[in-house]
Amino acid sequence: MSFSINRRRFIQSTSAIAAGAMACNVGRAVAQSSGELKVALNGGDYGNACIQVYVKPFEAETGIKVTPITDGVTPAALELMVSTNTVSVDVIPVDPDTDARVPETGYLEKIDYSLYKKDELDAILDFTRSPYSVGSIVYAYCMVYSTERFPADKPRPASWSEFWDVSKYPGVRTLCAEVPPLEEALLADGVPADAIYPMNIDRAFASLDKIKPHIRKWWRSGSEIEQLMQDKVVDLAQSFDGGANALIDNGAPLEINWNQAKLTWESWAIPKGSPNVRNAQRFIEFITRADRQAAFAQIMPYGPANRNAYKHLPEALQRKLASHPDHVASSIATNPKWYAEVGSDGLANAERIRQRWNEWILQ
Amino acid sequence: MKMFQALGRMPIVLTAPALAVLLVVFGIPIILLFLTSLSAPAFSLANYEAFFGQPAKIRVLLQTVEISVVATAICLFIGYPTAYLIVAASKYLRMALIVLVIVPYLSSGLVQTYAWTVIIGDRGMINNLLLDHGIISSPLPLIYNRMAVYIGMVHIMLPMIILPLVSVMMGIDKSLMAAARSMGARPFAAFWRVFFPLSMPGVRSGSLLVFVICLGFYITPAALGGLGDAMLSTIMASQVQTYFDTGRVAAEAFVLLAVAIIVLSMLGLDLSVTQGRTAQRAGKSWVSWLPSSGGQKRYRSELIAPLRAKRWTAQLYRAAGDGCWSNVVGAMLLMVVMFYLLFPGLLVVVMSFSAGKFLTFPPLGLSLQWYRSFFGNPSWYAAAWTSIQIGAMVAILSTMVGTLAAYGLSRTFPRLRRILTMVILTPICFPVIVVGIATYLGLVKLGLLGSMTGVILAHTIGAIGYVVVIVSGTLANFDRRLEQAAKSLRASPWKAFMRVTLPLIRPGIVGGAVFAFLHSFDELVITSLVAGFSVRTLPLKMWEDIRHHTDPTIAAVSVLLMVLPVFCLIVLHVVGWRSGPSSQRALSDHRT
Repeated sequence: MSFSINRRRFIQSTSAIAAGAMACNVGRAVAQSSGELKVALNGGDYGNACIQVYVKPFEAETGIKVTPITDGVTPAALELMVSTNTVSVDVIPVDPDTDARVPETGYLEKIDYSLYKKDELDAILDFTRSPYSVGSIVYAYCMVYSTERFPADKPRPASWSEFWDVSKYPGVRTLCAEVPPLEEALLADGVPADAIYPMNIDRAFASLDKIKPHIRKWWRSGSEIEQLMQDKVVDLAQSFDGGANALIDNGAPLEINWNQAKLTWESWAIPKGSPNVRNAQRFIEFITRADRQAAFAQIMPYGPANRNAYKHLPEALQRKLASHPDHVASSIATNPKWYAEVGSDGLANAERIRQRWNEWILQ
Repeated sequence: MKMFQALGRMPIVLTAPALAVLLVVFGIPIILLFLTSLSAPAFSLANYEAFFGQPAKIRVLLQTVEISVVATAICLFIGYPTAYLIVAASKYLRMALIVLVIVPYLSSGLVQTYAWTVIIGDRGMINNLLLDHGIISSPLPLIYNRMAVYIGMVHIMLPMIILPLVSVMMGIDKSLMAAARSMGARPFAAFWRVFFPLSMPGVRSGSLLVFVICLGFYITPAALGGLGDAMLSTIMASQVQTYFDTGRVAAEAFVLLAVAIIVLSMLGLDLSVTQGRTAQRAGKSWVSWLPSSGGQKRYRSELIAPLRAKRWTAQLYRAAGDGCWSNVVGAMLLMVVMFYLLFPGLLVVVMSFSAGKFLTFPPLGLSLQWYRSFFGNPSWYAAAWTSIQIGAMVAILSTMVGTLAAYGLSRTFPRLRRILTMVILTPICFPVIVVGIATYLGLVKLGLLGSMTGVILAHTIGAIGYVVVIVSGTLANFDRRLEQAAKSLRASPWKAFMRVTLPLIRPGIVGGAVFAFLHSFDELVITSLVAGFSVRTLPLKMWEDIRHHTDPTIAAVSVLLMVLPVFCLIVLHVVGWRSGPSSQRALSDHRT
């Protein structure tokens, strides 16, 4: 392994034991001064794309110095930062569930929608907009099948009831275990898309009972399902659209069935107590504009939450994205508000489902 | 001088530095978390009732203990003979074997797990081989079951049991077995009644470490197991990702800690228990074998002749089973274990040269693109350098305070020792996310959040546990009379420690330091919380985008990490481990 052995940095870090407390205070003081911003952008290629199309143009336009962090922020980290008053980052990506709990937790600042132009704001898909966060990308849990196993001249599974129909569509199957596929189970059982919420949990689990013996692997992360499809272990999968698209672009014999896809999204938000709220508001407004979102989608094929972005995208790319109007029309959007609702027993629906799921997986 | 004498009388004081670090960084916040789990200041058992009100949680808890116990037993079953054979090998072979045992531990767990799917997966090597030869018509379900979980977990944990065993076994005076043999004991009896009891401290500390770490596993069971093979941390991880509630999570952590304490006290938590007692037991056992004390003297006098002792030592291993048979069996066993340990890593090496955009095996073409992506990107090698710096500081700090603590613990009453050992082990027993939360709260108070020092302290609290366990194992066999002898010859306690004790327990200290470094080098969950987005370590960099996609750069990084210890450990061995057994032998000569 080769690395730059920088003597000065080594000494700095070793003497940090003595100077640690001081260094930290200095760091905070700097962060509080104006014209600064620290943003968490997710990791890997995603974060690098954000730096390229969001951070650099924003710095050029506003002169604000942005420190990008290529990492996500877990709900646990958010809670710790806010509750101990040690918020060290101004803009973070959040999932819809975290956003939906803010009325209860108070972890996020309110978004200043007065900064937004009307046509931009109207174009942002309504379900991705909340008082506390603005949608960035829309992605989907969708059905993906192998075109080798299901060639064009043979019947292909087109709905979750057909996914559940193992005799008519034989093949090795996989479903997601991290986010229980309850919506899919209800659709498979014949519940109409607009009647999924409020959810009949018993019915969903009864439907899951039917498919359980036929699932070869329950996956837990995007990289896992990507590998399962890449290695041709499964013929029929529930997968993120992003992973499937990346494999298809790489020549994998796969196709996405957009019918009855489950849409979810990621949003930008400001942790409560951020040192640079004003700049953070400006940053989020800037990066949710149609032209920025289009530039992002061209590097990372994820559906922009701002529909106006489609005006800047080539047709072939548009068809791959979860927020394409045709896909939105045939999909269902998850309902984080319903998941966050607290029942008479003091349990939120999300918790109730989690407990039921934990029991179900052990059966 | 006086201070050292005082320390000699009050050995427990030596645990003070370790306990101070633990208390400040971790102890006070964990007490606060305990209060949170009790819903203070209202105080109710609601969070615990919520836990025990869910039959699924209790079943997962039992399953977690079951998986950990079984995995530990398998590790011991494979690790003990392996360690024995490693210790028996010639000096250079031994060094090479120890390095090879540690190598797989360093490559990214994620890539290793993927390597296992390449081997035992439905489209993996074994199934493809059998399918191609028409032996089977559809893939065997080798993966996504409990068996695969054990294969993966034991693979990761095996170094963790072999190393403490090796460091204890290296401290066992081989001439004792030679003596037993020379006095007519059969090879197995000599092993069973002399060597095995003396190696018990290694068994105990190794199994303890493995068991405690297994309790917190979640990536391997989730990736290689079936839906039902969940462990408590698997469930907690998804809980933390979706619906986070500190009180609930803390309550679960304390339940797990309680279970760990119960299981450990059944297994025997007292790491130093053999000190004195076993020596006596072992002594008695072979005294009773002797025909007469005259004979004992005669044989003992022969032990003085180093040449003869050496020949016996050599003989011993040849004769351990039945002459050349045992050699063959031993060599084969070693080869099988090494193959098991190293083969997945070998696949990672091959995959790291892949030309494709994904991790694939066999690779579609050869290229150096992932190495270029590592060396071409400052954020990768800067992260690696940060991790090395932090790891080195953690190793130094925790080895110093951990060794002192182990030394102090070995000199105190068993009851106090048991309690303090448990306290020191808490940071490795607890689910890592809860350690992360506690450490965060502790570092906030110290104003060290997001600083290098903060991360070092956060890693040190766990690393101390490794050092204490491994050093305690070595200390258990250490004959205190040697130190007393030195003192009777007017050595000061400090001098006696430095000149007598330290050289004898050096294998344990080196082993502890290695694991302290590795613990820090590998740490992800705690770091991600306390690094405050300012300190970027290699695991953080490796895991930052795992949610969406596996960047094959981590295969290249894994290979570099596997090459690194070959350099590091060779250096360490040359400096540290080498003098262990030879000085032991020299001293044992003096003793007689």
